[in-house]
Amino acid sequence: MPYASIVVPTFNSSATLGETLDALRTQNFRDLEIIVVNDGSTDDSVEIAQRHAARDGRVRIVEQPNRGLAGARNSGIAAARGAVIGFCDADDRWMPGKLAAHVAHLRAAPLVGLSYSGSVLIDQAGKPFGHAQKPRLRDVTTAHVFKRNPVGNGSAPVFRREALEAIAWRPAFETQRDWVFDETFRQSEDIECWLRFGLSTDWLIEGVPGLLTEYRVNATGLSARTEAQLASWERMVSKLRPRDPAFFARHEGAARAYQLRYLARRAISSGDADTACTYIDRALSSSRLPLREEPLRTGTTWLASRLLRHLGDAPIRAVRNMRAARG
Amino acid sequence: MTDPRPLVLHLVDDATPGGVTRVLDQIRSCTLMARDARHEVRPVSRKGGLPRVQADLIVSHLAISWRSLPALISFRARHSGTPLVHVEHSYTEGFTALNVPFKARFFTLLRTAYALFDRVVAVSAPQANWLARRGLVRSDVLQVITPVVDLSAFRALNTPQGPALRIGAIGRLHRQKGFDTLIDAVRSLPQREISLHIHGTGEEEAALKARAAGDPRIVFHGHSEDPAAVMSHLDIVAMPSRWEAFGLVALEARAAGRPIVASGVDGLSQSAGPQALIVSTPSAEAWAAALSARLKRGSTPGAMDRCATAEREFAAAWGQLLADLAAPQELHIAA
Repeated sequence: MPYASIVVPTFNSSATLGETLDALRTQNFRDLEIIVVNDGSTDDSVEIAQRHAARDGRVRIVEQPNRGLAGARNSGIAAARGAVIGFCDADDRWMPGKLAAHVAHLRAAPLVGLSYSGSVLIDQAGKPFGHAQKPRLRDVTTAHVFKRNPVGNGSAPVFRREALEAIAWRPAFETQRDWVFDETFRQSEDIECWLRFGLSTDWLIEGVPGLLTEYRVNATGLSARTEAQLASWERMVSKLRPRDPAFFARHEGAARAYQLRYLARRAISSGDADTACTYIDRALSSSRLPLREEPLRTGTTWLASRLLRHLGDAPIRAVRNMRAARG
Repeated sequence: MTDPRPLVLHLVDDATPGGVTRVLDQIRSCTLMARDARHEVRPVSRKGGLPRVQADLIVSHLAISWRSLPALISFRARHSGTPLVHVEHSYTEGFTALNVPFKARFFTLLRTAYALFDRVVAVSAPQANWLARRGLVRSDVLQVITPVVDLSAFRALNTPQGPALRIGAIGRLHRQKGFDTLIDAVRSLPQREISLHIHGTGEEEAALKARAAGDPRIVFHGHSEDPAAVMSHLDIVAMPSRWEAFGLVALEARAAGRPIVASGVDGLSQSAGPQALIVSTPSAEAWAAALSARLKRGSTPGAMDRCATAEREFAAAWGQLLADLAAPQELHIAA
């Protein structure tokens, strides 16, 4: 029985699945299984997975008709045998020491159910472009999860099995296996899961130092999907609010402001000035807390959105090129 | 002539008319329990120290907090020869999830406080499992005694006949009880002949009334001194609690032969009994669906034992605890 299971949902990811599996197979911590969940791919993702499975007996393939990312992760969890279960989407990579760090963390800290790390952001070509997620690691409260999502992305967390089981449920219409991630979400399924975990269990959520995940972001078409992303975030809030209305009354405004600020920053990245201005203004009218808690980041987001509107994206491109040249 | 029975002194710092007070009333008045021991209840203040007392066994029903910890440590030191038991009426996994931002620190408090006692009594098996799982209480000092109140008046009630129409919600009007979700659920039900009867008072009263405003089917009754009379007017009892160490209302509903729809958190999964309809998703939609299903089945709960042995089991468990702790020498020889 492998000590760790890593679930790799894949849907038409033939361009990146190979490097994801390479990164997982070369983890320093070797007592693992890699569960590739083929979520109805129509490209040659499954052939790539099969080639890895032929060379490495620790790679297994689970097939399912397309159910989306949450559904693929749930199928992977159902197939997982490990005492700890991690996730790595088929376009992301893990640094060689990532699994070892989380295994050591979960062994040393019996109260921790979800262990995560920071991430380096990589572009479509798989290259870091000077951005990272460097979240708070200790003293993480559920309010912090709601506002700042320290877990960061779906390839960052490694769970203790009992902790995942504590939030599993079986919807009435589901006949095959439990849900851990809510398959009715096509976006915000990550934060919905982490927040529900915080609101319904007494497991600690804690990070380990280092940027141990390489998280790929899609730079094109970002702002087009922001409204849909915001809508799914709002649906998550509506879904979870009955669990503790007092918690939401207290933190919802600030969390929404942070969410809008995040969307503003993405709009800035894709050079969409009007969208960026709209979002940062909505953020600040939702709550002033981001200004008080993170004045620099909030202030620069506001400033960048204004500069973008008046000067175009040349200054931002210049800064980015300078950073790229330095890095 | 002196009373040969050992003296069991129960310390309590909660004077509100809730579950703890009612269980202590039961301990004080139960004739079965009086055979083994004299049970006395001593109210103490939440502020300041604890008094020096004389007893053969001391039982804490106190609320554990960082503020009360020094008083507890000092109390333990001053009663080093007397067995000390703590009954945990409040804390559960669900409580911790929704009320404790820094959980590791809270677990340190509980572990430190529980270590002062010779025995820690959980009020339900799920709560005991949580205490053990989190390493808060050593397994050899942990035991479960589920609380009771006098259920005779509830057992005397006839099972409701005919269609199930009246849903009852009984308890403190506090976010713990989840009555907000229940009100939303009932509001969304189309049946005009059903009604929701909310019994209790508390800080959320105004907010809950505002939530129910405009729906004449939802009625607030305030606190009642006669819980069996309240139960007699209900067909179904709803318990959408967000956390619940045990849930006495469920026991009363079962004794009264009333079907239960419950959230199933913490101790409620035990107290609501095997026939309860459990709503595992805390949402108005899930509750509306469950209530609809339950109302359609009518108010007959099926064959129910009405918790016939609850009081006897409670008395026997305390008798055994007393025998274990208050006569350690004989036990030692016997072992």
